[in-house]
Amino acid sequence: MRSPLTRRVRPMLAAMLLLAPTLIMAGGAKAQDQLVLRVGTDQKLETLNPWQSITYADYEMFSIQYELLVSFDINLEPAPGFADSWSTSADSKTHTFHIREGMKWSDGEPATCEDARYTYQFVLDVLASDDGYVGSGYLEPYLSSAGLESVECDDAGNLIATTSYPTTLLTQAYVPILPEHIWSQYSQQEISDATAEGYFANEPPVVGSGPYHAVEWVPGESIRMERNPNYWGTPGVPDQIVFQTFESVDTMVQALRSGELDYVRGTGADQFDALATEPNIRVAEGYANGYTYLSFNTRATEDGYGGSTSALEDQAFRDALGYAIDRQTLVDRVLNGHGVPGTTHVPPYHVDWHVEPDNPRTFDLAEANRRLDAAGYARGDDGRRVDKDGKPIVLRLTWPDSEDHSADAQFIQGWFEQIGIGVDAAVTEEGALLELLPGPEYDDGYNADWDFYMWGWGGDPDPNSLLGLFTTDQIPQAVNDCFYSDPRYDELNTLQQQATDEATRKEYVDEMQQLFYDAACYHVLYYDSELHAMRTDKFTGWTNQPPDTGVPLFGFGYPGYMLLQDASAVPTEGPPTAAPTAGESPGTSPTPSAAPAGAGGGVDSTVLLVGALVVIAVVGGGFLLMRRRRPAEEEE
Amino acid sequence: MSLRYLARRLASAAITILLIVILNFVLFRMMPGSPERILLGRIPNVSGEVVAATRERWGLDKPLFPDQFVAYLAATAQGDLGFSYGARGRPVTDVLLQKLGPTLLLFGLGELIAIVLGLALGAYSGWRRGGVLDHLGNGLSLILYSTPYFLLGMALLLIFATGLGWFPTFGIDTVGRVYSGPLDQIADIGFHLALPLATVALGLVGQYSILMRSSIVETLSEDYITTARAKGLTEGRVLRTHAIPNALLPAVTLIAINLGYVVAGAITVEVVFNWPGLGTLTVDALSSRDFPVLQGVFLLLSVGVVLANLVADLTYGILDPRVRT
Repeated sequence: MRSPLTRRVRPMLAAMLLLAPTLIMAGGAKAQDQLVLRVGTDQKLETLNPWQSITYADYEMFSIQYELLVSFDINLEPAPGFADSWSTSADSKTHTFHIREGMKWSDGEPATCEDARYTYQFVLDVLASDDGYVGSGYLEPYLSSAGLESVECDDAGNLIATTSYPTTLLTQAYVPILPEHIWSQYSQQEISDATAEGYFANEPPVVGSGPYHAVEWVPGESIRMERNPNYWGTPGVPDQIVFQTFESVDTMVQALRSGELDYVRGTGADQFDALATEPNIRVAEGYANGYTYLSFNTRATEDGYGGSTSALEDQAFRDALGYAIDRQTLVDRVLNGHGVPGTTHVPPYHVDWHVEPDNPRTFDLAEANRRLDAAGYARGDDGRRVDKDGKPIVLRLTWPDSEDHSADAQFIQGWFEQIGIGVDAAVTEEGALLELLPGPEYDDGYNADWDFYMWGWGGDPDPNSLLGLFTTDQIPQAVNDCFYSDPRYDELNTLQQQATDEATRKEYVDEMQQLFYDAACYHVLYYDSELHAMRTDKFTGWTNQPPDTGVPLFGFGYPGYMLLQDASAVPTEGPPTAAPTAGESPGTSPTPSAAPAGAGGGVDSTVLLVGALVVIAVVGGGFLLMRRRRPAEEEE
Repeated sequence: MSLRYLARRLASAAITILLIVILNFVLFRMMPGSPERILLGRIPNVSGEVVAATRERWGLDKPLFPDQFVAYLAATAQGDLGFSYGARGRPVTDVLLQKLGPTLLLFGLGELIAIVLGLALGAYSGWRRGGVLDHLGNGLSLILYSTPYFLLGMALLLIFATGLGWFPTFGIDTVGRVYSGPLDQIADIGFHLALPLATVALGLVGQYSILMRSSIVETLSEDYITTARAKGLTEGRVLRTHAIPNALLPAVTLIAINLGYVVAGAITVEVVFNWPGLGTLTVDALSSRDFPVLQGVFLLLSVGVVLANLVADLTYGILDPRVRT
């Protein structure tokens, strides 16, 4: 009798041995005539329905497939989109957009003013509905904050939009124009609620008007786009664009190094530094359109609020703390230098709008101590300062578990300790933190049981959304989480929304930044950089948006994709560094000038890993051999 | 095998699964933070009414017990595991099914290779105890057994994918590639499968070989082996027909237990190679607090383990007459 084991094992082994080389050879022979741009992202590709957009990746997907009414060029200036020209009435309340003639959707249907009207009217209907929002609720505010009242099409194919107040914000509205013949088949509920019966997921092939449209989607994993044959402009050079989600940034970076990806969004700081020295790879460090902050519970001990000390309510106290934060050290040590120390709540990404405050709080522990003494917070016997109720000040510091701020917290704890302020630092689960933050105005049962915390905000091409977070009416919405309330700020916000002259608007925006900075309700810690990397041996023409401070892709609109060139088609004239390319822009770019120490980590880690494995194998093997020898000898 | 034995095993498996279902409910309701805030994220302009509407939509406005619990049991029994927060409201069952195939492919094949190689290596090592192959094989097995998957995977990736460029670094196939035929497609998947499969197989092979080796060594001192040799059988015959079948029993247990975990996969292998399976899904669901998906994964995993144990028990009953009652 033969054992069943052997009978089965032999053919299986034989099959595997035969199969392996076949697979390797077959897989190795890649037949790819199409020029495919492959983009890796750390964010998941979960939706093709623009109204469900939340992440940068979501926004990027609809930005490529659909036109905005007015788009953004590489300098973030308004550029032709669904409309090819636009004008505004003298009172800036009637806005006329001329819709480009002869446009077609990717399915061949004509794209007209009716589609634009449908889309904007849909938003108006949503805003007027019981829900008040659609999908994730991120897009409607672009039109509501512009005061949009009505839209209609005239006989000449112009979209006429009327706003309740003078505004320039309509050209900044980040709302994709959707094909009416597709979307009007679905109700607001079917578009909004992904769990509803008959939900419209906008599955591929997506009908769009942008340069590319999705033809294949593996939810959460990848999206493949092909050229839209009916795109009105000059077609892009890549035949296809493939977006791929990565769970591990390490793997994503390896895929870029091996040439399987052409662009990656969201590398870590050390990988970024290592990639900077690799051949055929260029890195781009852009200002992030956002900031990381410390927020204070400024109504700490007021009725219904759960802060631990009345000192938090005192502007002088919070102001003094601002001198005990070494923002440069945080940037250097926490961000590996990939960021800019923070001041106001409009980040320098907004080159035209950011201002430095008149009276910046620079790191100076003596000054912090002096200010605390002057404000009446004397030290107790144990060196700890006491508040005006005679209670020692120990502040609770927290941050959401979705972001790692433990290093920031340690630094802040250390500095505050030196000025006599105790800090209890602990992370909070993100959902729990969102529950913790709001005060009683938000809803029954909320009592803002916290002292100060860290998180971040992100913005739009226009600073309007970042400015609007801190108006008084945002307190009951749980957005204005430091409970900042200043009638002058509220007034200025309305004024800046309605200002039609940029110089005037800038005055308002400047004053708002200074007011909010002075209130010391938030301490902006830093503006952390966007870290992207791309290969230069397949595509050239990578251009930052905007050129001095941005990154090539995942910006606003799609200009970055349209400027790409086929590297093999470009005549070789030295290194393919075409004009204003990524990562090496002069001036205000926070790009590292040279490879810092510790670069080459990618190579180092390979060597280290292999070395470690060899060492383990040798030591382990030797040890076993030695241990095994004796009993083995005895047995012979 | 008696019917009573079968019935007892089945009943105990069913009760275990029910307890798991209940535990699953309790566990995820004890998590901090409220799901509706996670659902809504930090949407500006969200009013209390919208939050309330969201709670209602997801059934979170009803009391935990009995309403939410009963609804949960009824839905689970019908295979409705709710909607994923992270996947923007896609049904959890869809999300799980999408990821199940790749994991089964990777771990089914990986287990198979590891079992075949491991048992063969272990049997031979035990048989030739003290020989060169025993030293090498056993040493290698211990090293592989003790190397974490992600380290092994990263090493293979850095050497064979990024370094030598022989294999792709990530994914299950080349997105957007036009295949000339089904064979071409299988080859592409096989090509992507090579490194993760090698990682899984290498990581598991040590377990089997070590267990099989010691099991064989133990068997060799049994009287029936001496008898077999006394009968004048060749060494190979003694090994194949007398030693191995008897030494297989502990291996069956290990195989059954490991098969239960096939569903869970080795999370880290999938993450390292960006393999679109349940492991990657679990990591992502954890980081995005996608509780319904986590709940589904837990359920799938624990049911897998229970079923695998049931199979082990039943196989035991067949293999070993002593446990048949």
